[in-house]
Amino acid sequence: MSLPASESDSLASRRSKKPKYSKFTQQELPACKPLLTPGIVIGAFSLIGVIFVPIGLASLAASQNIVELIDRYDAECVSANDKVGFIQDTKTDKACTRKITVPKPMKGPIHIYYQLENFYQNHRRYVKSRNDKQLLYKDAASTITNCEPEATSEDGGAPIVPCGLIAWSLFNDTYSFSLNKKAVEVNKKNIAWDSDKNKKFGSDVFPSNFQKGGLIGGAKLNEKIPLSEQEDLIVWMRTAALPTFRKLYGRIESDIMASDEITVVIQNNYNTYSFGGTKALVLSTTSWIGGRNNFIGVAYVAIGGICLFLAMGFVILYVIKPRALGDPNYLSWNKENPDHPN
Amino acid sequence: MRGDRDSNLGPSGHRQTTACTRPALRHQSAPKIHFCLKIKAQEIHVGDVVWLHENDEIPCDLVLIGTSDPQGICYVETAALDGETDLKTRIIPPISANLSVEQLGKVKGVVECPNPDNDIRRFDANMRLFLPIIDNEKCPLTINNTLLQSCYLRYTEWACGVAVYTGNETKSGMSRGAAEPKLTAADAIIDKLTIAIFMFQIVVVLVLGYFGNAWKYTEGLKQWYLMYPVEGEAPWYDFSIIPLRFELLCSIMIPISIKVTLDLAKGVYAKFIDWDEQMFDWETNTPAHSANTAISEDLGQVEYILSDKTGTLTENKMILKRCCISDTSYGNDNGDQLNDVRLVNAISSNDPDVIKFLLVMALCNTVVPIKSNDDTVSYKAQSQDEEALVNAAANLNMMLISKDSSTAEICFNGSKFRYELLDILEFTSDRKRMSVVVKEGQTGKILLLSKGADEALLPRACPGQQIQRYLEAAEMYSQLGLRTLCLGWRDLKESEYKEWSKNFQEASCSLDNREFKIAEVCHSLERDLHILGVTAIEDRLQDGVPETIKLLRNAGINVWMLTGDKQNTAIQIGLLCNLITSGPGFESRSPRIAQAGVRLATDTLPQTPHRAGALCTGGKTEEDILRSLERALLIMKNTSETKDLAFVLDGWALEIILKHSKESFTRLAMLSKTGICCRMTPLQKAQLVAILKSAGYLTLAIGDGGNDVRMIQEANIGVGISGREGLQAARAADYSIGKFKFLKRLILIHGRYSYNRTAFISQYSFYKSLLICFIQIMFAFLSGLSGTSLFNSISLMAYNVFYTSLPVMTIIFDKDISETTVMQYPQILLHSQAGRLLNPATFCGWFGRSLYHALVVFFITISAYSDEKSEMQELSMVALSGCIWLQAFVVTMDTNSFTYPQILLIWGNFVAFYMINLILSAIPSLQLYTIMFRLCSQPSYWISMALTVAVGMGPVVAFRYFKNLYQPSAINILKQIEQSNGSIQTSGNLESARAKLTNLLTGSRKIRDSNYHPLLSDSAESAR
Repeated sequence: MSLPASESDSLASRRSKKPKYSKFTQQELPACKPLLTPGIVIGAFSLIGVIFVPIGLASLAASQNIVELIDRYDAECVSANDKVGFIQDTKTDKACTRKITVPKPMKGPIHIYYQLENFYQNHRRYVKSRNDKQLLYKDAASTITNCEPEATSEDGGAPIVPCGLIAWSLFNDTYSFSLNKKAVEVNKKNIAWDSDKNKKFGSDVFPSNFQKGGLIGGAKLNEKIPLSEQEDLIVWMRTAALPTFRKLYGRIESDIMASDEITVVIQNNYNTYSFGGTKALVLSTTSWIGGRNNFIGVAYVAIGGICLFLAMGFVILYVIKPRALGDPNYLSWNKENPDHPN
Repeated sequence: MRGDRDSNLGPSGHRQTTACTRPALRHQSAPKIHFCLKIKAQEIHVGDVVWLHENDEIPCDLVLIGTSDPQGICYVETAALDGETDLKTRIIPPISANLSVEQLGKVKGVVECPNPDNDIRRFDANMRLFLPIIDNEKCPLTINNTLLQSCYLRYTEWACGVAVYTGNETKSGMSRGAAEPKLTAADAIIDKLTIAIFMFQIVVVLVLGYFGNAWKYTEGLKQWYLMYPVEGEAPWYDFSIIPLRFELLCSIMIPISIKVTLDLAKGVYAKFIDWDEQMFDWETNTPAHSANTAISEDLGQVEYILSDKTGTLTENKMILKRCCISDTSYGNDNGDQLNDVRLVNAISSNDPDVIKFLLVMALCNTVVPIKSNDDTVSYKAQSQDEEALVNAAANLNMMLISKDSSTAEICFNGSKFRYELLDILEFTSDRKRMSVVVKEGQTGKILLLSKGADEALLPRACPGQQIQRYLEAAEMYSQLGLRTLCLGWRDLKESEYKEWSKNFQEASCSLDNREFKIAEVCHSLERDLHILGVTAIEDRLQDGVPETIKLLRNAGINVWMLTGDKQNTAIQIGLLCNLITSGPGFESRSPRIAQAGVRLATDTLPQTPHRAGALCTGGKTEEDILRSLERALLIMKNTSETKDLAFVLDGWALEIILKHSKESFTRLAMLSKTGICCRMTPLQKAQLVAILKSAGYLTLAIGDGGNDVRMIQEANIGVGISGREGLQAARAADYSIGKFKFLKRLILIHGRYSYNRTAFISQYSFYKSLLICFIQIMFAFLSGLSGTSLFNSISLMAYNVFYTSLPVMTIIFDKDISETTVMQYPQILLHSQAGRLLNPATFCGWFGRSLYHALVVFFITISAYSDEKSEMQELSMVALSGCIWLQAFVVTMDTNSFTYPQILLIWGNFVAFYMINLILSAIPSLQLYTIMFRLCSQPSYWISMALTVAVGMGPVVAFRYFKNLYQPSAINILKQIEQSNGSIQTSGNLESARAKLTNLLTGSRKIRDSNYHPLLSDSAESAR
């Protein structure tokens, strides 16, 4: 303000209504105003390129080093024409033998997954059909909210534990492996998350009335084993977000040499035929990146490359057609012929 | 025994109110009334007797029944009501004239008055007082017997009246009109966009619903694990379940938070206005205040400013600045008083012309001197000009000491002179002059003293007197924006006066055509005058008004002046404050301007409009006016320099124009950048605002008096100046400021920033809602179109409430370009005026960006987290994290200036997202349990996030960079200019920065930063 100090003092003493000064109230906080100058932008793009390409290559290498064997068996394991009828018949023997040759040496532990395709575990009707309370607390066996239509047994109306469509449709194919005619032990311990076993499924909750109805969904559960030990169920109940998904079946702790032949005897029980889904058995090693997935590696290399390319393009463009930043002559109202309104 | 108002409604629609014996008292030192109360204005009831004291604001409409003046007169200042600054006289109705002070408190009677209306010039009522006090006869009442609310009682010790209208039923209250809630232009666009998004949502829901049902019946029934009920068992509303689920899913498409966020932001804008130190007025100790917190963005989009003149552009203080006596012109540019040494010398040397001049100044008026206790004399005047003249004369030792109806006493250099006042030839707007006939006490000589407008007085000079120099002086003064008056006198012979006096008496008593007859008689006397000189009175412009108006006009805002004042004064003020630029026609009267100038009938110098480059619309008859309107329109259309053309209009012409050719006037209004409208009534001011509003323009009305209240309320934005005419306007307005000059800061700084910020906040709100919604829609295609939500409800809620609304609030601290730059390049306001930052096109940009970002997030998530990793909760958190990362970068990208709170909120929020989710991941009962811990320990999670940001932001940065460099907007350029002149923001030396910017603007190449010189010269060539 242009007032001399003495005058402003006297005014201030006269209970002035003048707003108190602070950098905040006057919107005068110190600010930095970065601009997209050629230097910054070209630098940023180069930097991204330089960082992304190596990361991409590393991910790609890690992914490529993973040995992954996929064996789709749903078609081959049913010879009958009426596939649905075959699978729904409880009396037929559904054993099916598959032979897989290992192309590269696989270091243990080797993860065994089953892969389902076109199976909508994320369907709204399905994903909601469970009751977490019932799974955890012994006293909550009759808490069957959300579990319809698999909430109570058909005869007496007793609550089903575990209730709901997810548990009811538990995957029930089983695999037994043998390597060079020698049976291989499959470790089915610790395939579920520890957190689920400890905090989500009760160690004193036992299955009851499960799969007792007329319509059998999937696997049955041993009523002597508490839910927290039913690891297949726990894995299954971690619903998948995508219609194609893999779930851990078990692990083979030993290494497998190259060109070894793995024989798998599959009990092909699970019905994916009525909705045209597929089933596959997957054997895979792991690395820091997880399972085999080239996407991240390819994307990183591609993005890094594009960034480097763009940075170079910007440099060339800037050399060919330099433009001054902040030339007031470009202001529309300063232009002599304003044919380019901004 | 106050009468009940409703039951007293007479069959004729007239209402009776009974004056009661409970007088409501406004002042304690009132005459000896026993039951006096001091009450609030809101407690006054119809029928109460209200006592008022000098300088009180009148609390309600009263019928005057008593005053301190023995003649039953009191003075009121009605400026707050009609904008006229002169004092008005009010008279006690004859019926109550003889009441004693004691009787006033006890009087009983009936006032019959019409139902409340807004006509401030009419009051057709009558009053009866009951026995035993006076005889029971009806006495007619007129507006002259009333004291109207919001006027001020002046120069009258006390007055007393009966309340007839109170509260909102008063004349002032009725003409105020109800204030409608205001919606900003930005709000209107946001509403439209909301509707568009809603339609989009409906379409999405219907399409997804249809396909969802189709999937269900073709595929879903085969998926045995879904256990769909067998056909026939399904309820009848089955078909609607899936669409309704999608409706639930898509309901977040319209961000509910936008209203809350915007309201919060608007509240802060308003606070910034309240807090602004630079809009604090030291003189009146008033800070700026925004009463309406909801319309700050509109300030940045103002297209028309309609301003009151008196008290808004001017200070409303009249001062005699200059005068020209015989051959000499006194007063110079810098002297703000008439303290020219030559004039003082001329007075002390008893120059007869000068002394006569002062005598006319002191005597030829209707001013009443008031002697206060300490012997100083103050003056009360009906006209501020007269007061200024008398005051100036007093300062020059010619002091009017006392005056009554027949004599006046003058004190000149210590000696007293008596003058007998014989006749007063009153001022009328037709004659434009007034005269008094006085008899010198000592010599017995009879003198005629006259003053008036130069064109009214100079033609009546005695033959042979050189009047050319006075014409020139008047011309010169009015070019300076001063109000000029000519003074003259002549000796009257006794016989001549006697004969004239007889005629005058006759004319005064004539029953028909009295006014005309009086004018005729006056005319016969006012001739052969000795012209003494010209006075020039200044109604001083407020500090900084011309600069402010120039700046606002540069910013593309059209400024109109609406005033109740006379036309030539208005034009002069317009010239002074840069409203009208004195174009090439100033000296030479170019043919264009001369042709354009349409002579105005009523009260202007014919040459004024030509000079001013203004088009005058007016005429004596309706046809004249309409013809001149058409002509003005034609000229406006055909001139390329419409910028410099203003139209001038008076209230009468406006009335006719609005009646007959409103359309052509609207066209004229749209074509002309400047308008000067004089002799406007409050209603007409509001009508003009309404015309501009109906043409789709955003209007701002600024005024200081009660007569501006309607206009202020009608306009999109009303700004009140807390000025000398009271606080009425400031109270009714959306914003109140202390001085007109603060308007530039209000509009260019606060308005512009507010608009920019709102534009960002609103579009960003849509962006973030659409982002999450698009992801949900895409997920629907992978979940059997069943309407599964990818995100859990806690995440969705927190996304809207915390993660995305906190960072965006930081934009309320954002400044794209500094205040200095805005003031330097006010043209930048055109950007916000034209709505460049918030319109369907920019919104489409945001829509596209959110679609693109949704695709990026979704596909990176489902590709990186496929197969064995595709666990619902994990995938959902990966997608959510992707959104959070992107939005943090989007806000950063669109922030122009980073202050500490901004950096803190944007990245603090980012950190908070992880903190909150880690905490939630530690609660076993939640679905989120351990999820975030798992993700954070996976390298692929972090790699996916980096990928999302790179793919999401890379194209945006590249696009921005290209635009910034190769097709920069004005804002981009100004930002670059600021950057290359780093001193602007860092050093406090604004002056040097300003000089630098000016040099840049004018394009002088030499002073530019040497670093940029080669680039600049190159680009300058390539630009051509």
